Amino acid sequence: MNTIIENLEQFWYFTGFANASWQNLAMIAIGILFITIAIKKGWEPLLLVPIGFGMIIGNIPMFPGLNIGVYEDGSVLNTLYQGVKQGWYPPLIFLGIGAMTDFSALISQPRLLLIGAAAQMGIFGAYLLALALGFDPNQAGAIGIIGGADGPTAIFLSSKLAPDLMGAIAVSAYSYMALVPVIQRPIMLALTTKKERLIKMPAPRQVSQKEKIIFPVVGFLLTAFIVPSGLPLLGMLFFGNLLKESGVTRRLAETARGPLIDVVTTLIGLTVGASTQADKFLTGNSLKIFLLGLLSFVIATTMGVLFVKFWNLFLKGDRKINPLIGNAGVSAVPDSARVSEIVGREFDPNNHLLMHAMGPNVAGVIGSAVAAGILLGFLG
Amino acid sequence: MRDLRIFIISVLSLLGATTLGAQNLTDLLIGEVLVENTNGLTDGYGQRNGWIELFNTSSGTVKFGGCYLSDDESNLRKYHIPTSDMAAKLGPRQSIVFYASGNASQGTFYTNFKLRNGSTIFLVSNDGRTIIDKVEIPSDLPADQSVVRIPFGIKGMDFETKVNPNPTPGSYNGDVDAKTKSQIMKEQDPHGWVLTFIAVMVVFLALMILAFIFGWIGNANKREKKSAPKAKKVHKQGNMSPEVAAAISMALSMELGDEVYAAIALALDDYLAGGVHDVESMIITIKPSAGSQWADKTQNFRQLPR
Repeated sequence: MNTIIENLEQFWYFTGFANASWQNLAMIAIGILFITIAIKKGWEPLLLVPIGFGMIIGNIPMFPGLNIGVYEDGSVLNTLYQGVKQGWYPPLIFLGIGAMTDFSALISQPRLLLIGAAAQMGIFGAYLLALALGFDPNQAGAIGIIGGADGPTAIFLSSKLAPDLMGAIAVSAYSYMALVPVIQRPIMLALTTKKERLIKMPAPRQVSQKEKIIFPVVGFLLTAFIVPSGLPLLGMLFFGNLLKESGVTRRLAETARGPLIDVVTTLIGLTVGASTQADKFLTGNSLKIFLLGLLSFVIATTMGVLFVKFWNLFLKGDRKINPLIGNAGVSAVPDSARVSEIVGREFDPNNHLLMHAMGPNVAGVIGSAVAAGILLGFLG
Repeated sequence: MRDLRIFIISVLSLLGATTLGAQNLTDLLIGEVLVENTNGLTDGYGQRNGWIELFNTSSGTVKFGGCYLSDDESNLRKYHIPTSDMAAKLGPRQSIVFYASGNASQGTFYTNFKLRNGSTIFLVSNDGRTIIDKVEIPSDLPADQSVVRIPFGIKGMDFETKVNPNPTPGSYNGDVDAKTKSQIMKEQDPHGWVLTFIAVMVVFLALMILAFIFGWIGNANKREKKSAPKAKKVHKQGNMSPEVAAAISMALSMELGDEVYAAIALALDDYLAGGVHDVESMIITIKPSAGSQWADKTQNFRQLPR
């Protein structure tokens, strides 16, 4: 009888119930919240479902030493997590993004690239604020990149600059990307007048195949020569785009933008979620990171819209730009461009801003990769 | 076409097998040499011998099995580092010590020659001819002092040779207390304004140049189009319902402009709840419903490469 009781007691110590702490339960609740938001609201489901479930996996209370946790060397989760830790998932995602992104909106109106540059102020605004809150420069750089609104870039940079903060940074970046419509709309309305919202921009010209092929080659050469440290991201982004536009590598492009990016997105979401173990995640720093992440999105949107308004002072007639596309410089593709379209249509149902907003939107992707390269060069 | 593929793969394999290997060995250098060891490092047998430290300057692992060490220019193959020893490799920016005991039978890391002042130590590639690096030992080098190569410069890839009164066998020869970039930035730019200013300028500059180049290419393209004779329009007919045909012909109408494309795309996207797949610009692709993949015969076809 005693043997049975002893064995049951031993079994009990191995169960999650015996090892549970309120922190684990809190993180599991957050994971469930993420999944609920993704399914009910449809906000970034491809990311929030894997991250949410990963959070649940990573926070199952367990007896240490079973070699199953994400931070235990050699475990399955740890092996999958290496793609995040070593930073090779994000460039693979960028390969897929390049292969699915149509840069013709940008090529047809290259001036809109500057809006993408202006919105990167969110990154540096958050960097300054993080320094003021007492973070070290490398940590501040990793936190600042949340303002780039680019999950893979945020994971890539934080894995290099501040691996301890990566979980909080990645979750923060993806959460605010999901909340782009909620965050951006009030800022756009507050900063623009009714007259400005009604500005109609001429239709973008058609872009030739030759231009589309030249773009990734020239774009890569230029940006990589200026910021070589951004090579993994920029190289993959432009390479993927060349696969798409060259016209002779259709199968490779389809794989990159289809099965490959799906596999990597699943793994990155799941492992980033699993890396948010309560003991490493529920800290004062994580709360600060969430606050700074929100501010970085606010700054990025504000700067994008204000930049367009300022630029309009020097533009005349149909050269004027609708400031409602300023928010699209935040590179949450294509969500922020979609917000421009929706808000634009609220005031004029015939004013379609989507194609115009896609320009700064994809410029934001390039801009955030360049900014990440600069931060890595200075602080890595 | 097949021959071309085989040729490309062969060339790539050859490059991988030879060029990269040779390139790796050139990343090695003799980091430190000590001749007379009276009070320093002891070897695995408890003896104090002179020693030679090899250093990997690169950011990748270098296997040096098969290379040679020598103190005689006329006999560069004096000590052959065993190829079979798995330990004969160096990680990024790592160093390893060879004991110059004069008795190679003691192990991989024991040379068959002893060191002497005034000689030159050679590190020779696995071809037995190419000298990767050499260090001249001063004839008056005091006991327990070494000749050391100290990295300097921003990249730490340039080396100056010095006599070192405090030898560091097997350790990094540079400043071990060197500050990280982040620590330097914390001291030089505590509030972050300098980095912010530079970074914003660089981001704007990069994207401005890109905008300029593509503005120029776009203008050149427009001029080219204007000068070219107008091509006759060809309308293709496909399997489509009259409603879809009408919508597309409306979109193609020159009077309505390109905005109609966006409007139709959005309307279809709204109506089909994401079933519209737009891969190429200006082309709306509607994916047919595939039904159950188990019942779909096309799923069973082998996708042969072209």
